[in-house]
Amino acid sequence: MRKKVVSALLCTAVAVSLAACGGQGTSETTGTSTQGASGEQTEAAAPETQAAGEALTAFGEVPEDVDREQTITFAQGADPRGLDPAIVDDGESSKPIVQMYEGLLKFGDSNTEVEPCLAESWDISDDGLTYTFHLKEGVKFHDGTDFNAEAVKFNVERQTINKTVDMTYGDFVYGDVAECNVIDDYTVEFKLTKASTPFLNNLAMSLGAPMVSPAACEQYGNNLNENPVGTGPYKFVRWDKNEAVVLERNEDYWGEKGVAKNIVFRTITDNSARVVALTNGEVDIIDGIDANVVDQITAAGCVLNKVEGMNINYLGFNTDVITDPEVRKALSQAVNVPELVESLYRGYATEATTILPSFMPGYSDGITRPSYDPEAAQATLQEKGVTQIHMLAYTNPRPYNTATGQTLAEAIQGYWAKVGVECTIDSYDWTTYKDKVNAGGYDVCLYGWNGDNGDPDNFMYLLAHEDPGMNVAHYNDEEYKQMLAEAAALPNGDERNAAYAAMEQKLADECVWLPISHQESLSAYVSNVNNFIYHPTGNVFLSKTYKN
Amino acid sequence: MGKKRRTEVVAGEVIEKPESQIRMMWDTLKKNKAALGGLVVIVLLVFLAIFGDLLAPYDPEYSDMAHTFVKPCSQYLFGTDQLGRDIFSRVLSGTKISLMVGLCAVAFSLIIGTILGSVAGYFGGRVDGFIMRCMDIMLSIPSILLAITLMAALGKGLDKAIIAIGIVSIPEYARIVRSSILSVKENDYVAAAKVIGNSDRRIIFRHILPNVVSSIVVRATLGISTAILDTAALGFLGMGVQPPMAEWGDMLGRARTYIFSAPYTLIFPGLAITLAVLAFNLFGDGLRDALDPKERV
Repeated sequence: MRKKVVSALLCTAVAVSLAACGGQGTSETTGTSTQGASGEQTEAAAPETQAAGEALTAFGEVPEDVDREQTITFAQGADPRGLDPAIVDDGESSKPIVQMYEGLLKFGDSNTEVEPCLAESWDISDDGLTYTFHLKEGVKFHDGTDFNAEAVKFNVERQTINKTVDMTYGDFVYGDVAECNVIDDYTVEFKLTKASTPFLNNLAMSLGAPMVSPAACEQYGNNLNENPVGTGPYKFVRWDKNEAVVLERNEDYWGEKGVAKNIVFRTITDNSARVVALTNGEVDIIDGIDANVVDQITAAGCVLNKVEGMNINYLGFNTDVITDPEVRKALSQAVNVPELVESLYRGYATEATTILPSFMPGYSDGITRPSYDPEAAQATLQEKGVTQIHMLAYTNPRPYNTATGQTLAEAIQGYWAKVGVECTIDSYDWTTYKDKVNAGGYDVCLYGWNGDNGDPDNFMYLLAHEDPGMNVAHYNDEEYKQMLAEAAALPNGDERNAAYAAMEQKLADECVWLPISHQESLSAYVSNVNNFIYHPTGNVFLSKTYKN
Repeated sequence: MGKKRRTEVVAGEVIEKPESQIRMMWDTLKKNKAALGGLVVIVLLVFLAIFGDLLAPYDPEYSDMAHTFVKPCSQYLFGTDQLGRDIFSRVLSGTKISLMVGLCAVAFSLIIGTILGSVAGYFGGRVDGFIMRCMDIMLSIPSILLAITLMAALGKGLDKAIIAIGIVSIPEYARIVRSSILSVKENDYVAAAKVIGNSDRRIIFRHILPNVVSSIVVRATLGISTAILDTAALGFLGMGVQPPMAEWGDMLGRARTYIFSAPYTLIFPGLAITLAVLAFNLFGDGLRDALDPKERV
């Protein structure tokens, strides 16, 4: 009898500790390669004088005596989908990718102005149709093969004329490229079909634009997802699926070599588990921070890094299914977006009125989302007979939605319930979710976009994209595509901005998306981490980051 | 047909010796304070499950985004969650779901498990081998893993959770029933029943199963607590119910992000699970002491 009572108590203890299990389970199973760093980190966990949290705008000098054997561990909320920059399209993949690959151009440390990288200089013809790039000599891929004009041509053609179905970024980057010609070993020429203002910015993007080794492509069947080979400051070591991507310093790097010997990108999907991993010193840097845990992070002596986010968190209406703009408008009216944003993101996100964030060129404050009006929404929805909505959502946090897709979905479900619409939610982890979205068959889905290059075309192109996984609203409008093509050819300035404003107005009139918020990018690091910048594109370039 | 007759006969037996069975059981149970406590809590839970909706101060599914994470106060006894829903109302509403899933899942596995177990035990031989090897296979897979797999295949929803959890515990009942039947079926009265030409079904239900009722009842009571835990575990993993339905495990799972900033979103559903599971375990133990003569001696 007594034994049974003890076992009963044990059972209940399990019930109570269910929550704790969720947290610890994740962190324990992922104890891969942090052993080396744990010694240094124990000191860091103690609350020290807390840095001001002022975000860096440019990388500082690395001191001479810095420990070059250290390991930097970065934890993010989802596993990369792959490590081939031509194939994947998500931020989690992009972060390890930018350590291993480089493109012809790169962005400034904390802005989206283009700088030379693998191309030392470039000339643009007067008509804006021919770009000639002079490449850096003596650069080698990690597999020892040379980077040269042939490699550039291979990379461009890989994503244009030789494109396979899953290369979604090729259109973004090389969509306007008619041909790519090798002039000599280190000179390459791009011929464009039409003038394209965002072209240079596109070439600095972290996906699509990075140069991969042609030899490796041949060896691995044109898919480097598991076998990345680039020219970047870090080389691939291994990828333990759903646990960690491990990189090591490229000792033959052509530029300034990385400081840390190893960089590890860990996957900790659970928000609170990731925070605990940071505060107990298991990892050095995390991102995807929920507003509710900010106090917990600062109280543990870690530093919160906050930068304005170049992103949009939105709900996409599947325009193939919900064809009536009136219905889409009514569903938008039913959601009290300002209240929703305030309560989910606690001041760490701004309410979105349109697609582009307010600091981007092309943003117009004259465009509005349908304002909150539940009565009008209910009347329309009743009249149109809309009572059931099927929503797809993701369970994890995203850079543009730190509160997790599940929570956002349930909040929207709550608003719709008040106007008599019953919403069923199917939620999946991010990788499965992407497949489900690609498959279609939903009424609405939650999605978001993190800008890659600071150009409005990068956002607005989403709604003209052929890939249903990008254009989740399945919006297909010839007039819009026409407007987009014209705007891309205009030089930067008022006329171009006005063109984008007109496109945004068109989308707002048709209620294709319900724009929800622009998330501030919140990341946090242990207080002894230096030289860390969270780039507006949502990337982190860790080759100059170090701990002391 | 056979079923109807059985109840008549069982009822007849009870009338024949009314003192011995129930009275003795109750006497033993009365002395067991822990079991009585469990019984009181169970009665309370059943009461809340039936009348919880009337007692709940708010609609458990109504989300008020302007009042999220309100700490427990007189207006919101247990506070509000991340979507501004009243946690007290949700915990109340969750009682119904947990008890219903618990009872239905146990009934489901009890019926199927008893049939399979008695067929295996009574007929023996190849039938026995086949059924029990299937049960062994099911037992060899961790039950929660099996339940998760079933849920993934069936999809979300209470009915599916009941089926998944029910299937998982079939082998336990099958085993208990089979072993009891094996020990009973060699008795002379069973042979006698066979000789006078009773059908197999009649012998199993009329003459053999009444002998194993007590151990099944004990097992089922304890099984409810396991089922409640399994429901909570499925909900915690986000596979139980379709949101916004209030289910204890689901509430725990959603709230675990806020464990440090708003612990009350987690504590109350956690306590509810603890209480319900503890009550069924204590009562089940007491019942075993009262019903199982071997342990009583």
